[in-house]
Amino acid sequence: MTNELDSSKFDPYPLDPQKVVRLLTQSTRQLDGATLTALVNARQNALKKQLVRAPIFALHPAGLHASPSWANRLLPLSAQPWVTTWLAAGLLAAALIAGTGYWQHLQEQQINELDVAILTDELPIEVFVD
Amino acid sequence: MQNYLLAMCLLLCLTAMSTNVAAQPWVSLTPPQREALAPMARQWDTLPEPQRQRLLKTAQHYSKLTPEQKQRYQERLVKWSELTPEQRKAAREKYSAFNKVPAEKREQVKQMVKEEQARHAQQSASGVSAVPALK
Repeated sequence: MTNELDSSKFDPYPLDPQKVVRLLTQSTRQLDGATLTALVNARQNALKKQLVRAPIFALHPAGLHASPSWANRLLPLSAQPWVTTWLAAGLLAAALIAGTGYWQHLQEQQINELDVAILTDELPIEVFVD
Repeated sequence: MQNYLLAMCLLLCLTAMSTNVAAQPWVSLTPPQREALAPMARQWDTLPEPQRQRLLKTAQHYSKLTPEQKQRYQERLVKWSELTPEQRKAAREKYSAFNKVPAEKREQVKQMVKEEQARHAQQSASGVSAVPALK
């Protein structure tokens, strides 16, 4: 790797990207139909495989330039979809429990306030009791 | 997989619901709690746990009440705790409904009840309820 870098550093004729593109385009035009079809098929296959392994909830490393270690930790999730399923199920269960707990808390609070109000109201308790 | 998920959800729900507070006997109550719930001292340990918890929650408000409200609170505690859960629920519903009535009408009812109380003040020994319940 270091040798390659060093050699390119001292190369008196550095590669021009535009020239490379031109050369590749010319080479492609020279390819026969069967080779082109094979290349197109190979590309399609590669794209299909990439789609299957696409992460469901994993973060994209592009947004994690500042902390590549996070990307390394999160990316393996994309390779194991069941992990994301469990994660989603866990989050859903946690949200459900939190919601139920909060609703119960509100109910209890309301009952408590009513009890205090009835016990301290100007009107006697008999008014509200059959 | 689905069975595991279901089991996990069930376990978490049960854990969340089983957060009952341990029974609190009268001797374990704090002095402010005992002061607020003083009229309940005799029957406290025989009350069902949910009712104890509910009364303890109302007692948390006791220190913020006016002297008049404190007196009413303590006078009504025993009668309130003697009601069945259904009667208490009905009373809460009735109280909520009454509070939705326009303020002028509420005042009229309060005035009417006060007059009724005054009229029957001397008949309290008869054992007949002095105040009619709201229908």
